[in-house]
Amino acid sequence: MQANKEADFTLDLRGESCPYPVIYTLEALEGMNKGELLQVITDCPGSFRNVPEEAIAHGYTFAQDPIKNGQEYLFYINA
Amino acid sequence: MKNFIQPVFQRYWNPYVVLLIAGILSALYFGLTSTVWAVTGEFTRLGGDILKLFGVDISGWEYYDMVHLKGTTWSRPDGWIVWGMFIGALMMVLLSNNFKIRLPQQKRRYVQGLVGGIIAGFGARLALGCNLAAFFTGVPQFSFHSWIFIVATGVGTFFGAKLTKMRWWKGKPTLTRGTAKPSKVKKRIIQPYVGVVIAIVYLGLTIYFFVTGQKLLGLGALFGLAFGILIERGQICFTSAFRDLFLVGRSVMAKAIIIGMAVSSVITVIIISVYDLTPITQIAALSTFVGGVLFGLGIVMASGCETGMMYRLMEGQVLFLPVFAGNIIGATFLAYAWDHLGIYDVLVKSGTKINLMDSFGPVGAILATLAMLGVLYALTVYREKRYHRQLAMKRGVNQHAS
Repeated sequence: MQANKEADFTLDLRGESCPYPVIYTLEALEGMNKGELLQVITDCPGSFRNVPEEAIAHGYTFAQDPIKNGQEYLFYINA
Repeated sequence: MKNFIQPVFQRYWNPYVVLLIAGILSALYFGLTSTVWAVTGEFTRLGGDILKLFGVDISGWEYYDMVHLKGTTWSRPDGWIVWGMFIGALMMVLLSNNFKIRLPQQKRRYVQGLVGGIIAGFGARLALGCNLAAFFTGVPQFSFHSWIFIVATGVGTFFGAKLTKMRWWKGKPTLTRGTAKPSKVKKRIIQPYVGVVIAIVYLGLTIYFFVTGQKLLGLGALFGLAFGILIERGQICFTSAFRDLFLVGRSVMAKAIIIGMAVSSVITVIIISVYDLTPITQIAALSTFVGGVLFGLGIVMASGCETGMMYRLMEGQVLFLPVFAGNIIGATFLAYAWDHLGIYDVLVKSGTKINLMDSFGPVGAILATLAMLGVLYALTVYREKRYHRQLAMKRGVNQHAS
């Protein structure tokens, strides 16, 4: 687990319902260079589970543990 | 206390466990009431109630005779299943402090939700059941129409998933450079207290039903509440079970639903045999297939089916208001089209009620059902594996090129 490195990009998904958080996250990661860091802000409860699980299933890693921020989650994913 | 609160309210429950419990409870509900866990029949009746409110005379509509439109939604056990589900979901959302008004950034979602909701509502009622009565609680009744419906829903969601991937449909997300600030978190937490108040009032109402001898309403209210709690805590989404398999090779929900149905089928066959009950059979006809395809397409367009829509709305996902409205509009339109536009004559009349219990007996019926579910499970695993194999190959090619 890395210390809080500044994210290169932020994907603000607040308000979007499933499946769009997963689709958007995977697309954003695909378009980024290896080694860059993506911050995802999401509040769709379904995405609290399927975004991290699918990011890992698609071969990406987490830079740090997910952060629960009230009714939303913050994810930090390495492209 | 904290050891209890943490896993129950702060984390979502394992979907396998949730669907196992849901499968057992729905078999019990059938044993106690001889009806099944279902929602869209009641949506159709709600549409009828609304039409009557506006002075429309629906007394001659055959579909409303068939679904027994009587009384009000408050005097129907099916009505209390629906309201119980809403309240159970809302209760859990509040107890976990997770309610938030969630407005989609993409305005097109509202249109997609309404149109998808109408198509799904229409399709579900055409097939005589949604993902519950023609699927999760239809298979354990050994009604063959649910077998057709599952295949048809798979076809519909496949095309829905294709649509979802199109640029004009999904829209572009807001990807910005650097780190953005998350929302400010409110310090004062009041949601759980509201949740407790709702729970106490609702349990009081349920007790009132039993004490005054309205046993069926009480059971509806109680089981509805349990189903609502389960679908919210497990985030049980039938739409995603098919769709995510096609979209991102995700299989958890599909597998959990199949296992839940298998357990429910075994318990139901025992209950039917021991208590000598008649399983609930719906017509299997061309309408089942057409309705299933429309349902599958509609739920993916709307991002939620008639069940998933309920707990999402309670989480404050505003998108599901037009979906709910669409579901009722679609179901009501089907009730009109049934005899007025000749749908019954063209698509339904030639069909028959087929129940596997009658055709093969209890042992044959349960074996056939388990075999069918086994094939579904194998197909799910195959599809997931294939997706990830293709993904690995694509990655390999890309790395080679760079």
